[in-house]
Amino acid sequence: MKIVVCIKQVPATGADKRYTDDLRLDRTGVEAIINPLDEYAIEQALRLADAGTADAVTYLSMGPDQASEALRRALAMGGDDAVLITDPALAGADEWTTAKVLAAALDKLAPDVALMGMASDDARGSLVPGAVAAMRDVPLLSYGSELALADGEARVRRLSATGYDWIAAPLPVVATVTDQVGEPRYASLKGIMAAKRKPMETWSLGDLGLSADDLHGAALTKVTDARAPEEKPPTERIENLPAPEAAAKIADWLAARKLI
Amino acid sequence: MSNDILFLAEFSGGAPARSALELATGAAELASQSGGSAVALAYGSGAASGAGALGAHGAARAIVLGDEDRPAITFAPAAIAAVRDAGLAVLAPATPNGRDLAAALVGSLDLPAFGPVRAVRVVDGAVESEQATLQGSVITTARPADGAPSPSVVLVLANTFTPAEGGSGTAEVTQTGDAAESALAKATVAESHEAEAKVVNLEEATVIVAGGRGVGGEEGFGPLRDLAEALGGAVGASRAAADAGWIPYQLQIGQTGKVVKPSLYIGAGISGAIQHRVGMQTAEHVVAINRDPDAPIGEFADLFVVGDLFEIIPALTDEIRRRKGA
Repeated sequence: MKIVVCIKQVPATGADKRYTDDLRLDRTGVEAIINPLDEYAIEQALRLADAGTADAVTYLSMGPDQASEALRRALAMGGDDAVLITDPALAGADEWTTAKVLAAALDKLAPDVALMGMASDDARGSLVPGAVAAMRDVPLLSYGSELALADGEARVRRLSATGYDWIAAPLPVVATVTDQVGEPRYASLKGIMAAKRKPMETWSLGDLGLSADDLHGAALTKVTDARAPEEKPPTERIENLPAPEAAAKIADWLAARKLI
Repeated sequence: MSNDILFLAEFSGGAPARSALELATGAAELASQSGGSAVALAYGSGAASGAGALGAHGAARAIVLGDEDRPAITFAPAAIAAVRDAGLAVLAPATPNGRDLAAALVGSLDLPAFGPVRAVRVVDGAVESEQATLQGSVITTARPADGAPSPSVVLVLANTFTPAEGGSGTAEVTQTGDAAESALAKATVAESHEAEAKVVNLEEATVIVAGGRGVGGEEGFGPLRDLAEALGGAVGASRAAADAGWIPYQLQIGQTGKVVKPSLYIGAGISGAIQHRVGMQTAEHVVAINRDPDAPIGEFADLFVVGDLFEIIPALTDEIRRRKGA
């Protein structure tokens, strides 16, 4: 059983972020990390490998050259090898383009499970996994708090409105997991050393049989404006008051806004 | 191609989700700008009998994708058939089910994707949307690229539109046409487990009282429930409280839980980490109660009350009940 974990390199959560003049995220000089929610997908894949259910774990990422650092970091946690898709024509890629490229790479890698995090820290559309599944015409099992594999079938445990379900589909599938999978492991020193020797390939669009024309430039969408959020009025504070007086003040505040 | 605005209308247990009503009104608003009609793509149990009633909220027509209680993604083939070459935009709720179906449309039909958006309008014959990205630090405006296929797929946050009430219209209901075979239809529910207690759908609440680590335990949520009841609202939680098992995960607010946009959010004993903030920062009014005067939530709340939630919340509940004359 072969698992490919798709990961994305994103700016660190607390990093100072800005847009370039051509309205793309300026990634220069910004600390970059593995998208934190992708670490749960890595953890899920490695648990299946630890249990002997998965024989091979490959990491796949699309990004600039420096995204190889994220792949190296994933390899330090465990797994076998990695593929970076990088191409100047992919600058400014949107969700459709990303899905198109990952789908082409997954066609080549042909895993039983393409596993992804439930969302990315920087964009949060969460559309790439489902779009990849549709492009490859394989089932989508999304938002799993656990992924199980057996008898040619994948299952995810997914919250329902009133409890939880196990959703099943025949392999191969695209699956996504949530942060309820369990805490991602740390890379050990041994793991970091071992990762340096693990194979990593770099593919261009041409290696995938794609051209910029197939990708409508790099995007079906265009950002026309990027600005800071509206300044909110300063926070009003209620401090050092006995509870009944504080409560009366809160109620006044709510009443002034017609909330009670 | 037409100027119609389509929207995903989810039904369960025989009734439409609140998102279906909101998007019916939103689609009607956009359709009046584009010169088209609002068209529901209704799916789930109750869709066949309930789709017509979406007319009261703005839908002119409704296409029933299927009436069964099954994983939302399995309605993708019918949705794809209905959306192919149709309309200017498809609005989808920014919920797990809505995202799954929206993604299937994007991938199957090569459509531009937007969202989750906090505002959307029709400008110069195309949808233009506003989105908070990078954890809310940047607001971007986006449009389809020149020559991009139509319709645009737009994820819409809950409470972006307020359902129009009091309408008497009935949407004209049709069945979906022939759908192509798709592996997306192969997902099935293998097992279903009901929770012991009934949980509300937080995305539908207009008032939310949320508790975090500072609530201290399962019983600590009691006073929060009383306050929520007095305000006609629901109780939510941070991930820390859900992870601790004090409250079901269905009530978790944040990046990996529900993204909510109530008119009033009260956070008690919640520090306001970025992961929680992205789930509630679009609430119209934010009140925070915390013992720590330096809690991060104090930086973005509209009203920050420094004090012991176990004293203030019961006092506030009493005060509200008294003013309501209950």
